[in-house]
Amino acid sequence: MSRIWIATTIVALLAVACMAQSEITVADQSGYEVTIAQPVEVIASVHGIGTYYVYTLGAGDRLALAYYVGVRDVSTVSDSMLRWEPRLPDIFSFGDPNVEELAASGAQVVLADASQHEAVAEQLRELGIPVVLYRAETSDAMKEAITLTGTLLGPDAQERAAAFITDYDRIVATVATDVAALDETCRVRVLFIGTSLTKAISGDMYQTYLIEAAGGVSVTRELFGSWNEINLEQILLWNPEVVIIPPYGVIQPTDVLENADWQALDAVQSGRVYRMPRIIAPMDTPVPESLLGIAWMANVFYPELVTLDLAEEVALFYADYYQFALTDEEIDILASP
Amino acid sequence: MMFGKRSAIWMLVLIPAGVFLAALFLGRYGIRVQETVRVLLNLDGPSDIFRALILRVRLPRVLAAACVGANLSVVGAAFQGLFRNPLVDSRILGVSSGAAFGAALALVFTWQGMAVQAGAFVFAMVAIGLVMLVGMRFGSSTLVLVIGGILVGALFNSLLGLIKYVADPLSTLPAITYWLLGSLNATQWSDLPPLLAVTGAGLSFFMLVRWRLNLLTVTDTEAMALGIRVRLIRGVIVAVGTLMVAASVALAGTIGWIGLVVPHVARAWVGPDHGRLIPASAALGATALILLDTIARTVLPTEIPLGILTGLIGVPAFFLLFLRFLRARGETQ
Repeated sequence: MSRIWIATTIVALLAVACMAQSEITVADQSGYEVTIAQPVEVIASVHGIGTYYVYTLGAGDRLALAYYVGVRDVSTVSDSMLRWEPRLPDIFSFGDPNVEELAASGAQVVLADASQHEAVAEQLRELGIPVVLYRAETSDAMKEAITLTGTLLGPDAQERAAAFITDYDRIVATVATDVAALDETCRVRVLFIGTSLTKAISGDMYQTYLIEAAGGVSVTRELFGSWNEINLEQILLWNPEVVIIPPYGVIQPTDVLENADWQALDAVQSGRVYRMPRIIAPMDTPVPESLLGIAWMANVFYPELVTLDLAEEVALFYADYYQFALTDEEIDILASP
Repeated sequence: MMFGKRSAIWMLVLIPAGVFLAALFLGRYGIRVQETVRVLLNLDGPSDIFRALILRVRLPRVLAAACVGANLSVVGAAFQGLFRNPLVDSRILGVSSGAAFGAALALVFTWQGMAVQAGAFVFAMVAIGLVMLVGMRFGSSTLVLVIGGILVGALFNSLLGLIKYVADPLSTLPAITYWLLGSLNATQWSDLPPLLAVTGAGLSFFMLVRWRLNLLTVTDTEAMALGIRVRLIRGVIVAVGTLMVAASVALAGTIGWIGLVVPHVARAWVGPDHGRLIPASAALGATALILLDTIARTVLPTEIPLGILTGLIGVPAFFLLFLRFLRARGETQ
């Protein structure tokens, strides 16, 4: 009997050792085959959006170096964000990635942006450091990126990735059902401006998807590329019913509402000019938190139609995915127009 | 092609005036001609929105385009004569680079509107101040001023690169990039008094010194032999020209090619005499920028940066002028 126990124990130990040394091979969003030793305990993310995938999948404590979208200077980070990630001042980085700094971080894998970091990725591969390149600027690509990240980070993260995608699809489906009765002509016309009054999104940008998922129609959906400079005549021609301002930059709703030249707009006359709220990540970018961006916009566009409880969704997202308990005041900020 | 004096004067007035008026009738909003006429004549009828669009949006912008175009062209014409170099424009002394750095600095601190203009203006003046210091220390010959301008321009371009490197890619960097491409989209009536004052004073100054500019196109020694205080006159011309460029760039961003190409077109039209060249450059520069800005604000739902349009039109125009120059010298087959 004791021999059987010893043999079983040895087999089990060997199995565990094999698992510990196992590798996985995945294709990243640039089509590279990446082989990564498991488990991944140390991660570097030079992709400001990818960093939030890691937190959403419960692996934020494995980040040794991280970029955060919308953060260029650690001294400007809010108290809420520091409460959420107390290590942020130690692991924060930005700018062009430094290969030696990444190597020194001890990262087993580096998460990078396919549109910016191909050259750095090549150098890191030569050093034997696997790099996962993301190209996730649509909702489908974002879900694919989160699934990919879950695969890298192990079974628990895979489960969380699947749960997140279910939640994301649930919110999109709920809003779609709530506004299904509205035909195209009844949908709210939305202007999403940027860091100046005359800077607007294009149809290629993720913000356009968010507006459409929330049941609105982006008046700038025919534009292409990145932020477009538009003039007041064109804005008056579009005559949006709602104006949305992103949660970064200096533009505030009063800059629109009190501007004499904008008074003829339906949005100004009805006072429907809003700045997106922000506690951690900017919800208008393709971060996981953008599912709250859809819910927030739907509540702004159709408060009488939407059945989602935004405050509850906010609290759940932060608790489930960021393991972070928001204060009532913070929930109010995120759940208010 | 040279024109008679009387016809040239009439064309100098009529062409920009006609283009100016026509630009007020054009825009994305599609206001009918009758409505525009009624607004311009202050007659009853047009809605408040039409009045606001024509009087508060189009009119200040077209005026600004006229001033900026005239300033850049006149300074380009004057500097081409002053530095005895047909490839010179208003950017030769590093003023635009200084202005670009000042605007970027303001934008990185998330300042807007007048603060950005003020930043651009102040650093344009700092740039020319540094060039003048070099000139005072090493003798303000054209060579010293040009080398000083290149050095100061390079310094501010490096500082601009630093600002762009640290700028927030979501917010500040696109704003800086757009500013550098040039636009009059943000023009308001409140921007115009300083620009109009500088343009009026600057054009008057250059008309007053037109014959001195003619004498400065010869060598310094010859000019001094003709009784010209070369260093003093050159310094004042550079200072006034810089002021005009700084006021223009502060409002419109960096707009290339106008200051280089328009003076050559004007010279082909009225000849090299600065008495004619200066008003012709002003008229053609104003006309050119009003036309380009009208394209920029009407053709697409999105604004087209002026720097892109001036480049797309200025490069072929300059190439054609160059071909004409070669043909005149008999160097083409």
